Amino acid sequence: MKHIRALFLAIAGLLTPLSPAAAQESEITIGRAVSTTAMDPGFLREAATIVDNIFDTLVMRDEDMKLVPALAESWKALDDTTWEFKLRKGVKFHNGEDFDAEAVKFTIDRIIDPAANAPTLSYIRTVIGVEVLDAQTVRIKTDGPDPLLPTRMSRYPTYIVPPKYVEEVGRDEFARKPVGTGPYEFVDFIPDQHVILKANPDYWRGAPSIGKVTWRAIPEGTARITALLTGEADFIESVPVDLAPLIEDSADADLVLVKNGGLTVYLGLVMTQAPLDDLKVRQALDAAIDRKGIVDNILRGMATPKGTQVGPADFGYLDIPPTPYDPARAKQLLKEAGHPDGFSIKMESTRRYMKDSEVAQAIAQQFGDIGVKVDQEVLDWSVYTQEVPRPGPIYMLGWGSTQTLDADAAVYAIMRSGEPYSTVDIPELDALLDESRKIVDPEARKKVLEEIQKLAAETVPLLTLYQEDALYAKARNVAFAGRPDARIPVYDIKLTR
Amino acid sequence: MKALSFIAGRALQGLIVMVGVSLIVFFALFLTGDPAALMMPPEASRVEIEAFRHAMGFDDPIWVQYLRFVGGVLTGEFGRSLRFQRPAVDLLFERLPATALLAITALLWSSLLGFVLGTIAAVRQNGAIDFVIRVISLLGQAIPVFWLALLLIIVFSLNLRWLPSGGIGTAQQLVLPSLALGAYYFSAITRLVRASLIEVLGENYIRTARAKGISNFRIVVHHALRNALIPVITVQGMYFASLLGGALITEIIFAWPGIGRLAVDSIQTKDFPVVQAVVLFAAFTFVVMNFLVDVAYVFLNPRIRL
Repeated sequence: MKHIRALFLAIAGLLTPLSPAAAQESEITIGRAVSTTAMDPGFLREAATIVDNIFDTLVMRDEDMKLVPALAESWKALDDTTWEFKLRKGVKFHNGEDFDAEAVKFTIDRIIDPAANAPTLSYIRTVIGVEVLDAQTVRIKTDGPDPLLPTRMSRYPTYIVPPKYVEEVGRDEFARKPVGTGPYEFVDFIPDQHVILKANPDYWRGAPSIGKVTWRAIPEGTARITALLTGEADFIESVPVDLAPLIEDSADADLVLVKNGGLTVYLGLVMTQAPLDDLKVRQALDAAIDRKGIVDNILRGMATPKGTQVGPADFGYLDIPPTPYDPARAKQLLKEAGHPDGFSIKMESTRRYMKDSEVAQAIAQQFGDIGVKVDQEVLDWSVYTQEVPRPGPIYMLGWGSTQTLDADAAVYAIMRSGEPYSTVDIPELDALLDESRKIVDPEARKKVLEEIQKLAAETVPLLTLYQEDALYAKARNVAFAGRPDARIPVYDIKLTR
Repeated sequence: MKALSFIAGRALQGLIVMVGVSLIVFFALFLTGDPAALMMPPEASRVEIEAFRHAMGFDDPIWVQYLRFVGGVLTGEFGRSLRFQRPAVDLLFERLPATALLAITALLWSSLLGFVLGTIAAVRQNGAIDFVIRVISLLGQAIPVFWLALLLIIVFSLNLRWLPSGGIGTAQQLVLPSLALGAYYFSAITRLVRASLIEVLGENYIRTARAKGISNFRIVVHHALRNALIPVITVQGMYFASLLGGALITEIIFAWPGIGRLAVDSIQTKDFPVVQAVVLFAAFTFVVMNFLVDVAYVFLNPRIRL
């Protein structure tokens, strides 16, 4: 009998009309391209988009990307290797546990513990220990001068976790049922289906205006956009460039375009190999690329041609114009380098960035115009990243600094010789890069970061192409402009009528 | 006795297949590259990658890793997912109901409709109805599933707004994915039933039945269909097994939380233990279904009794 009734109920379910997802004003459904697997910020292997809404860091970035107090009320460097943080009083975790200095120590200790093998360790690898002075004061020690420490305390590996809860339930359970101090409390998580959060009424910045957030994973682009246009979702991330017109033409939804919110795509050059060891050859290739043409025609204007790997919102950014498209000069440079008839070379690319295969093809043609015959290979991302750095000798990669908004993240890992992703070998550049990591004084550091970009423009260690925009889409009643650091803080989203 | 030894022989064959599959699954994945580098964030240093490699046991000789793998499989332990930090088997079985629901729905409608249309086409061979049914079933097999799935979303979700574009939970959400998934099988079954029935309808015993003056309906339903069913059952067994292994494309497009989507995500992120669990499970389902079909044969068709 019970089964028969269940069957009838299922059939009755077929007949009920579709109810719009956002029936109540204080609810929002957000469609993401990727599935959430776990939500322990210290052991995250994916974008922190959801975790961002559950936890707080000591320092945070406001809408203008300035570092402002969060769980720490103030901070200062006591000497080159010690930073003191004064903590906010009266903040509680969602389970009622008190936030205090011990929680900060616990959070950082569990990541820097070598036995834990935390995948996020690299983000705070300069930290060697945390000292608790009193309940509201901690001192963080670094292994050398680290000007980026406050920035490091604003990123997801250092989201403060509740020590008692984590120890009680264990790491695996914590990753499935996270507890933080943030604006939203965890409610439900079913892998590949949804994560549901509800507003934390006692949030220290004030209760959020949206009461309930449902994150849905919709991997396919057309389906994601359809979900938005039909009202099944109110906001979606990762809008494919090709499908953007669907939203532009719709009366129900708007495109949210965050200029320079994405990765900076470049062509890596294996500099130790001939002919790429020759500066003139690298300059020739650089001048052979029509960046504006590519951005306007292939990327529909949803990227910005660039002359530096550093993003305009990053600390240390130097406005270097993109190398002008000049095939005649490129040919001349090749001739001077002793390749009047050009040469043949292999170029690798993958499928991960905006219309990357089409871009690679266009570049191969433009190289062909100056006599450089390109043997093009396109590999799946899972295969592409197996070999790091790519053997190239020319390979496409996207690199970002949106997480730290500091030039260091944009250049060090791909330009310092010996780093896993770097194929650059310029001793002068190495010297400057090393120096930049030892200076704490912001002004002096800014100068060195600018020197790095100037030198990179002269020595062409890689071919910077353009910085992608971040593309979101939202229903008409959602007010959110997007952020350069790619976060989606639901706390800052407002619903209008 | 003969039937019993036939069954035992088939079971042994199945076992050998599974050992072969385990070898392929294990070595094929490990030959593709370095999991440690991929699992770590791009900023990780070589030292950190090495530490991770050691912690995960990726630096042991490959035969040690294989023996550990087989030992684990035999005790139902496929290792922990690198991504989820949970046992791979748990992830698999968590998603099995969703995949099974989709597979059964797709198989049900495609079998029923395929059966009815196939029979009609066979009875009306070379008539107008037969022509229409043949065109439909040809299209169903010719149209790629990713294209059909997107078309269904664009027509029924985006334009008509009749059905949701994806997800799981309500009966409406089951309609489009099961349509997309079942289209191919519907076509295959229609064509198979038609061909098989036409062949049977030409047999002597059917002519005899006609000569006895039995009604056409009775001949088709009672005499012909029973014999025409045997190849159909074989094919359905195989289809169901392949559907249970996860409908990769359908599950991805309709955001269906099944095994196929788990497999694709795991392959893309080099989550070895999960990929191994999924492939072994799919192979196991196939072997078991194959075995069951063989056994069913023994009872359905006495001619196969050796």
